[in-house]
Amino acid sequence: MLRLRYGTAHARVMSAYEVVRGALGRGGPIVLGGPMGTELVRRGVRWRGHGMLTDSDAVRTLYLEYLAAGADLIRTNTFQLNRRIYLDVFRDAAHMRHIGAPGLAQRASELTRRAVELAREARVRSGREGVAIAGVMSPLEHCFRPDLAPPAHEAEAEHRELASVLAEAGVDLILLESMNTLTEARGAARAGRETGLPLWASFVLSPDGRVLGGEPLAEAAAAMRDLGAEAVLVNCVPPVDVGPALETLVPGGPAGAFPHLGKLDPPSWKLEFFPRFCQTDEWPPERLAMAAAEWLSRGARIIGSCCGSGPAHTRALSPRSEVRGPRPSRSGLEMRSQPNPPAPFPKGKGELLNSHPLPFREEGWGVRL
Amino acid sequence: MSYGPIRERLRRGEVLILDGAIGTEILRRDLTWADHQVLSRPTVVRAIHEDYVKAGADVISTNTFQLTRRALFNHFRDEAHRRHIGAPDLDDRADRLLRAAVDLALEARAAVSGGRPVAVAGAITTLEWCFRPDLAPTPAQARPEYRETIGALAKAGCDLVLIETVNSIAEAQVAVEAANEIGLPCWVSFVPDEHGKLFSGESMAEASRTLASLGPDALLVNCAPPEDARAGLRELAAARSGPIGIYPHIGRFDPPEWRFTDEYPPARYVEEARGWLGLGAQILGGCCGTTPAHIAALCRDLWSGVPGPRSELSTPSDSGPRTPDCS
Repeated sequence: MLRLRYGTAHARVMSAYEVVRGALGRGGPIVLGGPMGTELVRRGVRWRGHGMLTDSDAVRTLYLEYLAAGADLIRTNTFQLNRRIYLDVFRDAAHMRHIGAPGLAQRASELTRRAVELAREARVRSGREGVAIAGVMSPLEHCFRPDLAPPAHEAEAEHRELASVLAEAGVDLILLESMNTLTEARGAARAGRETGLPLWASFVLSPDGRVLGGEPLAEAAAAMRDLGAEAVLVNCVPPVDVGPALETLVPGGPAGAFPHLGKLDPPSWKLEFFPRFCQTDEWPPERLAMAAAEWLSRGARIIGSCCGSGPAHTRALSPRSEVRGPRPSRSGLEMRSQPNPPAPFPKGKGELLNSHPLPFREEGWGVRL
Repeated sequence: MSYGPIRERLRRGEVLILDGAIGTEILRRDLTWADHQVLSRPTVVRAIHEDYVKAGADVISTNTFQLTRRALFNHFRDEAHRRHIGAPDLDDRADRLLRAAVDLALEARAAVSGGRPVAVAGAITTLEWCFRPDLAPTPAQARPEYRETIGALAKAGCDLVLIETVNSIAEAQVAVEAANEIGLPCWVSFVPDEHGKLFSGESMAEASRTLASLGPDALLVNCAPPEDARAGLRELAAARSGPIGIYPHIGRFDPPEWRFTDEYPPARYVEEARGWLGLGAQILGGCCGTTPAHIAALCRDLWSGVPGPRSELSTPSDSGPRTPDCS
């Protein structure tokens, strides 16, 4: 049915998110596609221009693999992509023009459009037109440095620019990811809603369970729902932090989580989010699936995984992956760096998880096209 | 220690050749620079150092730009957050990378210098971002960090420290004081703007005056396009009687990488360098975008005038380096 309606962008856009919204209303679960950055880097993509100028095939392939793994929603390769990531390494705009490569002022917008275009191409190729494409927006400065967050008025204006590029490029909803202060999240949420697209908001937390910038998570979640967010999530926190966060989020409305796996392994030369995580083999897909079962039992409606995970994790979370035929190859890319086959399930390391039956093995679980 | 002969040559007024870029050269050899590559691709880094020694450089610098604990810790909100989500070896990773980086430069020298005196300069830059003086830590915060990093460079066997791409006098002062405490000779290089001023807005004359009593062996300018570097050099030359030097970048900064252009092929770079000699530069090298071919051309052709027309400013006989006044 959806395939027949794919003639007009508007009909398709509405239908893609309507599928997700319907599932959300029924209690989910909705499975998110995994991360782009860490998985591209793990596959050997040299991290420049988010891979989209030099390795667009790899980007499209990874989207396709998340689609084949059964994701109900895929996230654009736009995390930490905004004009500040270029401007910040120059004294000012004049200096950037003076010694920088031509076109840096427009680079972020161009890459953002390309990220959406590649996601849409992948969706068409996958034949899964009912999958929603979430346009990812994130803190304008480093996601783990709330102290660097710009003043509210600057942040809102810049998020408005990003949101409009995403909307024009054809995403189905706006997903605020790894938001680290409530102030910036508010500005980004208003900017996102102004596009007329649905909005989800996700926060990164500090070890004590607050938003990384210090605000209580409950307050942040309530603020996002007031501004029109249809779901509130946490992401880029270790899986062990998800349970307590859900206790806070679930009573307020649709909630979810997509934690990172492993440990942030930052670069040694520059303050720029370089997507690399180590020790990810401590979280093979089976272990993540067991953890996710517990999150669902706590009321999560949206589950997924963030940095450090890959299509195998998405597949382990998805009820639809088992009926969708052969598994895709690990992409045509040669694994040049840190080949990371999922380690055997670490026996004895699952104590923190309970032994809930795995809901994704039950009939009727998940969304249907 | 291999710095003695270098210092002696500086005192005699001789021209010394510094190496070219390391970071952008790693990129040009088709690797990312995210980790300095000193542990992951040591053979590539060592080969770059060897190429500069073979090209004829008198001083080679270590692959340690921006390599500090702070650079790694900056990716986390604070210590609790780092311990919660960060890689487990971050506490001493900078120290390990610094040692490995110095080892590679020392190994390269041992392998190919053939007994020619070549000094290994430990490179250190501003603690935050080199083009952003607004981010600089206070001197009180910076002092122990410079002591730590310069101390590690000294312990690993560097002959001198090259404090480079500095954007404010205050940070230069803290760094030189740390080098003096540790007992390592030092050169200080500022990044100049189009007017030849520091990025902080301070003048080269003020910088030279402030640092005079601390006695760095040389003041230089680097990591600006040739025309800006020349403006900075001119300011330094007017303000300072001791050795001065210059190593500009060529090409364009294309974050997080570098765009190589053909604007300054080696022959043109040499022509440009003759102009620097005319302004009194005694230490010549290259920053981002330069390659071993540029350094080889400097060593081979600077005096010979082989490639292209010779600049009227700069034959060694009429306007070579001034006799420096090194007290």
